[in-house]
Amino acid sequence: MEKSKKHLSDRVPVYALIWAVSYIGSLGAMKALSLSQAVGVMLTIVPVIAFALFLYKFYRSVYFMDEVQIKIQMEAAVVAFGLALLTIMTLGLLDLATVLKQEDWAYRFLVPVLVAYYFIGLFISRRKYHIDHEEHD
Amino acid sequence: MKNTIKVERAKKNWTQAELAEKIGVSRQAIHAIEAGKFVPSTVLALRMAKEFGTAVELIFKLEETDLV
Repeated sequence: MEKSKKHLSDRVPVYALIWAVSYIGSLGAMKALSLSQAVGVMLTIVPVIAFALFLYKFYRSVYFMDEVQIKIQMEAAVVAFGLALLTIMTLGLLDLATVLKQEDWAYRFLVPVLVAYYFIGLFISRRKYHIDHEEHD
Repeated sequence: MKNTIKVERAKKNWTQAELAEKIGVSRQAIHAIEAGKFVPSTVLALRMAKEFGTAVELIFKLEETDLV
């Protein structure tokens, strides 16, 4: 049981990495190469599948987390969701006010920002529970 | 909520990691509970009391601020 728990949580970063590589790869290929629409859609599907797989593995790993780890993840998600909502609301309103120019921004720019929000949430939550200030005895 | 986990651990001469392994949580969880930053569930508190061989109310005690 312990071994499978560790095995599962160890694999989550691997799936996150697979998603990141597939997303950056698709992004790079679509920007650098002049691809047909069909290939573009296929390249869109690859990171979607990779992310779905990562999400499934991450969700399964939560089942094996202890109470403190679950609470940390929940609070990180709350912070990330709140910040994401705030960002999308602000961008939506700015878009309506025609402050944003299509050539200056796109939905894809939000992806690293939303990922960063999760890590901000994780940082705040870990500090709250003193996970980063451990005593080793 | 205050607790005497550190004292109980010292009596048994257990590290946070050892206690964590015995009750099936991470060492970070023990640290957070011990520091009073996280209040464990009833199941976890009872599991801890069982490992220490004492009553749960002797490990966890309400503070003035916890009283309604």
